[in-house]
Amino acid sequence: MKELTAEDASLLELVDRLLNKGVVLAGEATISVAGIDLIYLGLNVVLAAVETIDKAQERRAS
Amino acid sequence: MTLLAHAIAAAPPAPLSHEGLRGRPLAWSEAGDLGLWSTEWAPDIKLERPDALEHHRLVERICAAQPCLPVRFGTAFASSDDARASLDKRAAALHAALARVAGKSEIALTLLWREAPEERTIPSTPAGPGRRYMEGRRAEFAVRETRRARAASMVESLITELAIERQLVWHETCTSDSVAVSLAVLVPTERAPERKADLERLAAQFTDVFAVLNGPWPPYTFARTD
Repeated sequence: MKELTAEDASLLELVDRLLNKGVVLAGEATISVAGIDLIYLGLNVVLAAVETIDKAQERRAS
Repeated sequence: MTLLAHAIAAAPPAPLSHEGLRGRPLAWSEAGDLGLWSTEWAPDIKLERPDALEHHRLVERICAAQPCLPVRFGTAFASSDDARASLDKRAAALHAALARVAGKSEIALTLLWREAPEERTIPSTPAGPGRRYMEGRRAEFAVRETRRARAASMVESLITELAIERQLVWHETCTSDSVAVSLAVLVPTERAPERKADLERLAAQFTDVFAVLNGPWPPYTFARTD
């Protein structure tokens, strides 16, 4: 099991808020920015959070 | 030029500094008595990871200046006219959502299991591999269900003890092996520190999890209009 620190959990909660919550404006909205599909963008940000978790685990292991 | 959306607010706009994401101009697109705060963006600039956190800080700044609805990060409009048209289409729902979150903030509580899920011992029987596989699956399922029930009971206990309306609480349980509960509460902004302390005290009663509290944040979870 991946052990989450408080810092990891806070980051993941915030990323979840930014990418999955809030008002969704559709219709006229372009759901991509600068050619980056939102799904890719979401993964990119979440990966950043996961990297933090992995680094924290490495620190604990060493 | 595109507009990278941050938050929706009622007109007139609060007097904010004109600095948006990465120091680019912050724009206000008004449609009737609503408006959209956004950053004037260039289509050739790619969004980077730090932009998400800067968007969060911008939304915090806007929400501190006037009641607002955070817009999901990454939403962009080709022009101010497009942004205005999008607001016009959903004006009634946006007004209702704004009224719901005005003067309120979100407190986030995450409960993390202290221990990895206990591994059930499968009785050693002379059964074949198929039977052993099924016994293993049944044991895993039993552990998961026990944890789900425990997480649900913690949520019920928190809502009861907080004496808060259920529509002001959002929660998910067991979203990963580590997370028991992810919960958000919409509270009056001036009472946010007090309610955060209440949540911390209540969560400390649970011995099998540790609590991570965040916020007050802009009301991301409660800004939905659907």
